[in-house]
Amino acid sequence: MSNQTLTDPLTLYGKTFNSRFLLGTALYESPEIMLDSVATSQTEILTLGLRRQNPAQGDGERFWQMIQSTGCTLLPNTAGCKSAKEAINLALMSRELFATNWVKLEVIGDDYNLQPDPFQLLEAAQELIAQDFCVLPYCTDDLILCQRLREAGCQVLMPWGAPIGTGRGLLNRYALKALRQRFDCPLIIDAGLGAPSQACDAMELGFDGVLLNTAVAKAQDPALMAASFRSAISAGRDAYRAGLMQKRQTAHPSTPTIGQPFWHQNS
Amino acid sequence: MHQYPTAKHPLNIAIAGYGLLGRLLAWRLLLLGHSVTVYDKGRSGSNTSAAYSAAGMLAPISEAAASHPSIYRAGTEAINTWANWCSELGLSHAIQQQGSLIVAHPQDRAELTQFYRDSQRIAAENTSMTLTMLNRQQVSELEPDLSNQLDQGLWINPEAHLDNRALLAGLDQWLQRTDVTIWYDSEVSVSPKQITDLNSGRHFQHDWVIDCRGAGARFDQPTLRGVRGETLHLETREVTLQRPVRLMHPRYQLYIVPKPNHRFVIGATQLESEDLSPISLQSNLELSSAVYTLAPAFAEARILEAGVNLRPAYANNLPHVSANEGLISANGLFRHGYLLAPLVVAQTLSILHGQNNLACEQLISQPHSEQATHEV
Repeated sequence: MSNQTLTDPLTLYGKTFNSRFLLGTALYESPEIMLDSVATSQTEILTLGLRRQNPAQGDGERFWQMIQSTGCTLLPNTAGCKSAKEAINLALMSRELFATNWVKLEVIGDDYNLQPDPFQLLEAAQELIAQDFCVLPYCTDDLILCQRLREAGCQVLMPWGAPIGTGRGLLNRYALKALRQRFDCPLIIDAGLGAPSQACDAMELGFDGVLLNTAVAKAQDPALMAASFRSAISAGRDAYRAGLMQKRQTAHPSTPTIGQPFWHQNS
Repeated sequence: MHQYPTAKHPLNIAIAGYGLLGRLLAWRLLLLGHSVTVYDKGRSGSNTSAAYSAAGMLAPISEAAASHPSIYRAGTEAINTWANWCSELGLSHAIQQQGSLIVAHPQDRAELTQFYRDSQRIAAENTSMTLTMLNRQQVSELEPDLSNQLDQGLWINPEAHLDNRALLAGLDQWLQRTDVTIWYDSEVSVSPKQITDLNSGRHFQHDWVIDCRGAGARFDQPTLRGVRGETLHLETREVTLQRPVRLMHPRYQLYIVPKPNHRFVIGATQLESEDLSPISLQSNLELSSAVYTLAPAFAEARILEAGVNLRPAYANNLPHVSANEGLISANGLFRHGYLLAPLVVAQTLSILHGQNNLACEQLISQPHSEQATHEV
C-alpha cells in the first residue's frame, strides 16, 4: 500500500485498504489473464482456494507463487467444504501454508445453488475465532445468522447478493438493507454479482466492499471487466458518501422558474 | 507415399522426453535424414506420458471458446495435418472427423447459450466453422444413445478425435524399424548441444538438443508448472457414440470421447496441482455422475483405468518454443497436446532449418518469464 493518507479507507481486522474490491483467483483462462485482471482491478485483497490440492507435498506451489507475486493481501477460502470440521481443517492448513490467520469462511449446504450452511458456518466461525483466526464469513442475508456471527466475534460479514456464479445481482434488497441498518461493522457483498451496475448498486446501498470472481473471470475480456468493476465500485462508494437524493412522487424542475418572465412559465 | 528431401547436412539430434512431441519429432527428423537419439526417464513400454492419458480430441472450436481464439485457426490446420500424418503411418482409421456435440441439462441452458455466443464470435471471422443448434429429436437422431432428457444440443464442425493410443503405438512401431536409439530409465538434464544423464553423470554431445519433457522439465524451468488432470477409461457395449460429447455445466466441463472396442475416455478435471497421486473420490464422482446423466446406460460400464497426469503449462497456458544455439525447448502444450502438436513440430523444424515461421510465432508467444536466453 502507498504511504499517502487514505481519504476513505476500508478497515478489516485493523488492516486498512484503499480498494473496496476483493477479487477471486479461480476460473481464469490462464494465470497470465488472472494477473492482468488483478492489475487492472487495483484490488488489494485476493481470495484463493486450496480445497482440491495436496499441500502437504508442496502442491500447487507455482500457481500460488504467481498469486503471491501480486503483493496483495491473501485471503484463503474454504470453498468446497461442506462441514465445520472440513472447513476448520482447511483453514488450519491455509494458515500454515500462507502464513496468514485470515480466512474467508465458506461452508456449503447445497450442491446446486452453493448456499452457505448457516449452522455449520457458525460452528466453524466460533472454533476458528477461538483459535485466533480473523474470520470473514460468507453468509446468507439472514439477520439472525449475522447477529450470531457478530456475537461469535466476526468483525466483518460477507452476505451473498445471489448464489455463487449466478450473476443475478442483489436478490433480496430488503434483507440486505436491513443488515446495513443493523450492523456498523464492515459488510461486503460476496457472490452473485454479474454486472458492474450491480456492484455499484451494492455500494450505493452502503455496503463497504464487493467480492467477486466469476463475473470477471468469465468475461470475454477479463482485464477490461475488472477495470469496469473497479470504477463501478468506486462510483457507488462515492455516491453513498455524497448522499443520494430521496425519490419523489412529483417532478421538480431543476431550473427554478421564479424570476422568469411569466410568458415562459406556462410553455 | 510422400517424398521427403533428405537434409543436405544431416544433424545428430538428441530428444529429451518420449511423449507425443518426442515421438513426432523423432519421426519427422528421421524422415528428413537426421540421426536421432531419444532420452526418456520412463521405462520401456511404461506409458507415463500425458499423451497416453489424454483423450485425443482435436477440438479447435471448443478450445478456442474456452481459452484463446487464436487456437481455432491453428487447430483446424492441425486436423488436416493429423489426417495426413495418420495416412502416412497407415492409420487412416485413427482419426474420426464427425464434429462434436455440445449438450447441457435443461437447468444449465445458460451455459450452452454462453458457449454458443463465445463460438459465434470466432465463427464470424472463420467461415469454415459451422454451428448447428439441435432440438431434442435432432440430438437423438445424431446420437441415439444419449439421454432423452437432453432437449437441446449444439453440433460443431470441424472437430475431430484421434485414437491416440493406436497412434502412439503406430509411431513406436515405425521408429522401431529405424536405427533410432531410445535410452529408457534416463533422467537427464539439458544444455546446449549436451545431454547429461543424471544417474551416471555421463555427458553426451549432439549438434542440437530438443527438450520436450513436458511437465518433467518444470524443475529446470521456473515458469513451467504442472496442472493435474484426471480421466476415467470405461468399457461398455450398451452405448455407441459417433463423436465426442461435451457437457456444459456451471462448474464442470466434461467430455466423453469414444474409442475403438467399446471404450470411452471421460475427462477431465483441471486442478492447479502437481500431485500425481491416484484419482480422488470427488473427481471420480464428478466424472461418473456426468457420464451417467448423459447416458444412463453407462451405469454398467466397467472402469478399466483412472488416469492421472500433469499437463505442462506456462503462465498464458499456451505452448512455447524457444531456442538458442544448440538447444530448443518445446513445451507448455497444456490441454491442447494433440491439437497444437503439429504447430509446435513445425516451429521446431523451422528453427532447426534456420527459417522463420511467422504463423507459428503469432500463437506460440512469449510466456511471462525470464527465458531471455531461450528466445526464438
